[in-house]
Amino acid sequence: MTGNVIEPRPGKGPFFYGGLMFAAIGVIVALAATDAINTPTALVLMAAPLALVIPMMKAAAKRVNLGCAGKGEAQSRYIRRVALFTSLYLISLAIMTLAEKQYDPAEAVRVILATLPGLAIIGVFWAIGRLIVEEQDEFMRMLIIRQSLVATGFALSAASVWGFLENANIVIHLDAYWWAVAWFFGLFLGAVWNRIEYGTWGAV
Amino acid sequence: MKNRLKVLRAERDWSQQHLADELGVSRQSVNAIETGKYDPSLPLAFKIAEVFAMGIEEIFERD
Repeated sequence: MTGNVIEPRPGKGPFFYGGLMFAAIGVIVALAATDAINTPTALVLMAAPLALVIPMMKAAAKRVNLGCAGKGEAQSRYIRRVALFTSLYLISLAIMTLAEKQYDPAEAVRVILATLPGLAIIGVFWAIGRLIVEEQDEFMRMLIIRQSLVATGFALSAASVWGFLENANIVIHLDAYWWAVAWFFGLFLGAVWNRIEYGTWGAV
Repeated sequence: MKNRLKVLRAERDWSQQHLADELGVSRQSVNAIETGKYDPSLPLAFKIAEVFAMGIEEIFERD
């Protein structure tokens, strides 16, 4: 026996769906930025690429079960948690958008409805934190931390530069939740960096 | 840090996955340690030494 084990391929991997999701988000952002579509339309359209999280998570779970991404117990829990909070995000976003279009809710109701999607995103951050705590494989844990650091550096740097450009009326205004999207894109960049430096994408 | 993990594994005819299962880590971890891309923590180094029934200094050495 040798170390070069040929592993079964579980079909389209999580990075296929992840790439597709980020590409679709990019197109929607570009359309919104050029005023081709308005913000409510962009938010509704965002549901489509975000729904790709579900097949992405399923593909990731398949990889974990095949032993391609480590021991998998902490990662399986992480995938379940992210799937749960992503579903909650999509549901709360749909309710918020529909309520604002169909009715004229009172301010207190609007506050609650507008807070729910943010809470769901906080849930995803919590899931990543729990993964770091629960992951027993020290190498995989290091890869997750590296990814998170890259994501944080990327999102904060982008936010800082954009903020000053916006202040100088050079770029358009971006709602603050886009920096969470930038952070998730940073996770992807971190995974690419892990792949280049360590030969493996990591677990997130 | 240099290590003899690949040689020791080959002597025993173990796959990376087999060694990973023995250590309770992922195959990627074993691969990263073998190729010198990742230096294991002291507890993991002790575990590796235990699996091969050798001393740590017989498996790992300074560059």
